[in-house]
Amino acid sequence: MVIREVTSEVIGSVWKIERSVGDAVEEGDLIMILESMKMEIPVEAPVAGTLSEIKVVAEGSVEEDQVLCLIET
Amino acid sequence: MPNRDLDGNAPDYWKQKLDELAKRRADALEMGGIKNVQRQHDAGRLTIRERIDAISDTASFREIGSLAGTGEYDDNLEFKKLVPSTYVAGTGRINGRPVAIGGEDFTVRGGTSSGAQRRKGGQGGYIEDLAHHYKMPLINLIDGAGGSVTSAKRRGFVVFPGVDGFERSVELLGEVPVVSAVLGTAAGGPAGRAILSHFSVMVEGSSQIFAAGPPVVKRSLGQIITKEELGGPNVAVNKAGAIHNIASTEHDAFAQIRTFLSFMPQNVWELPPMLELNDPLDRCEDALLNMVPEKRTQPYDMREIIKLIVDKGSYFEIRSTYGKAIITALVRLGGKPVGIIANNPKIYGGAMDADAARKQIHFMELCDTFHIPLVFLVDVPGFMVGLKAESEGTLREGMRAVYVAGQLKIPTITVVIRKCYGMAGMATCNKKDIDLKLAWPSGEWGSLPVEGGVAAAFRRDIASADDPKVREKELEQEFREYSSPFRTAEALAVEEIIDPRETRPILCEYIALAEKRLKIGLGQRSRSGVAP
Repeated sequence: MVIREVTSEVIGSVWKIERSVGDAVEEGDLIMILESMKMEIPVEAPVAGTLSEIKVVAEGSVEEDQVLCLIET
Repeated sequence: MPNRDLDGNAPDYWKQKLDELAKRRADALEMGGIKNVQRQHDAGRLTIRERIDAISDTASFREIGSLAGTGEYDDNLEFKKLVPSTYVAGTGRINGRPVAIGGEDFTVRGGTSSGAQRRKGGQGGYIEDLAHHYKMPLINLIDGAGGSVTSAKRRGFVVFPGVDGFERSVELLGEVPVVSAVLGTAAGGPAGRAILSHFSVMVEGSSQIFAAGPPVVKRSLGQIITKEELGGPNVAVNKAGAIHNIASTEHDAFAQIRTFLSFMPQNVWELPPMLELNDPLDRCEDALLNMVPEKRTQPYDMREIIKLIVDKGSYFEIRSTYGKAIITALVRLGGKPVGIIANNPKIYGGAMDADAARKQIHFMELCDTFHIPLVFLVDVPGFMVGLKAESEGTLREGMRAVYVAGQLKIPTITVVIRKCYGMAGMATCNKKDIDLKLAWPSGEWGSLPVEGGVAAAFRRDIASADDPKVREKELEQEFREYSSPFRTAEALAVEEIIDPRETRPILCEYIALAEKRLKIGLGQRSRSGVAP
């Protein structure tokens, strides 16, 4: 079992979290949407697996390279 | 000496000479010996000779300086053995075209500088003179850490920095394509040599590059760090942008170099090579209609747009993991090499930060130097904002992009896909010359966006309204009406608004027309002025 970190490519805030801990995700599934520079930045699952932890909350701010959630593969 | 003639030559004079030549050549081919070659292979690396064979066309390599090295002689001064020099050099062909090619032999003294009378490779080496005088591309296969303190003992003195200087390396950057592959741990001179390239690539897992390696860092700063942490691709490519591309294997690195060179002319006095790809010039893709979301706040895949427009299979991206707000790729349109600079709306809405500006500048200068027309696919809201961006020098680097864009001599075509705002927008087009500015109907532009812009200009008006929020929206709506691209087209301030599906046919037409302009502009670019 491998834990894959999903990180933010941008500085901004969390707009919406679309999935919950325990959800099975496929590669490319939308997990959350960030907001930065007046744009919606979708965060997609880089691999298929189970969403094991979400490390941010809606409306919270995020930094570049910050870990947003973990996927167990 | 009865067996010798009046000159003192033995009767089998020619046989002896040829035997010695064969023996010296054979010694050279053994490189640093079986053990060292095995060690190189165990580290997952090819030898310099395997590398040259892998990157060049089959059997096209002709070595120069194969006999250079250190001869070993017995007490009677008879030749025993040649320890070859630490660099292998020569000419070869890539896609049938001549190149100068060379690299350090790590199996001989770790590829350290040889201390020979004349350098074979690296900065100031014979290989650079060869590329300069014969006006052909130079390929550096780098696997060495430069000088070694031990050479001071051999020479009896230390060399002054710049004795084998970078003058020729610098000169070459305005003459012929220079490419470097970092194939081991590069520090010092070879690291510097890699940077002075038009295109560079390093291999994930087996190569690192830095000004100085972990022992020097430990001694100077007391920091303990591995060479991979200090100069692996995650730092050197993704963060520093010191090296352009990452390769998964050495063979992948060679394939990338061959592809890069396929877009390049042999030198700045020739046009870049045409390659017929049999992709119809008038191909119109319906998929282009659905690429840009109606909602302005939603990003889309700019790379997909590029691939739908350009000749199929011709897309070659440079620096995909650095300065990601900009996409730079070499492509073909109607078979002719073209540089694409596109904003990436997925990264900060395409806003230009310092890294993206540096990346755009390098790519613009690359295309301008080798007479490759540029197509800008624009979706830029402006320079990146915020404390981090300001601290990193976004304003200065961004204006340097504007400065370099303003000096371009190659034809440029600007296609506004969505946003084109502010000074970052100015770095994407030549407003007053003949170069085309086209826009999709989704295009919008201005010196600043309506949101925020209205709030700043009508601060008192908004504040004194019964409902400030409603007033702000009203004003935004009013000003958005003026920002219709069709109103700008009425003033011929953009030359044409196009159906997205027409993008390829129009670009192909103008790239074909550009050939005469490119021919007239052949030769070296002179740059003047002080870049900001």
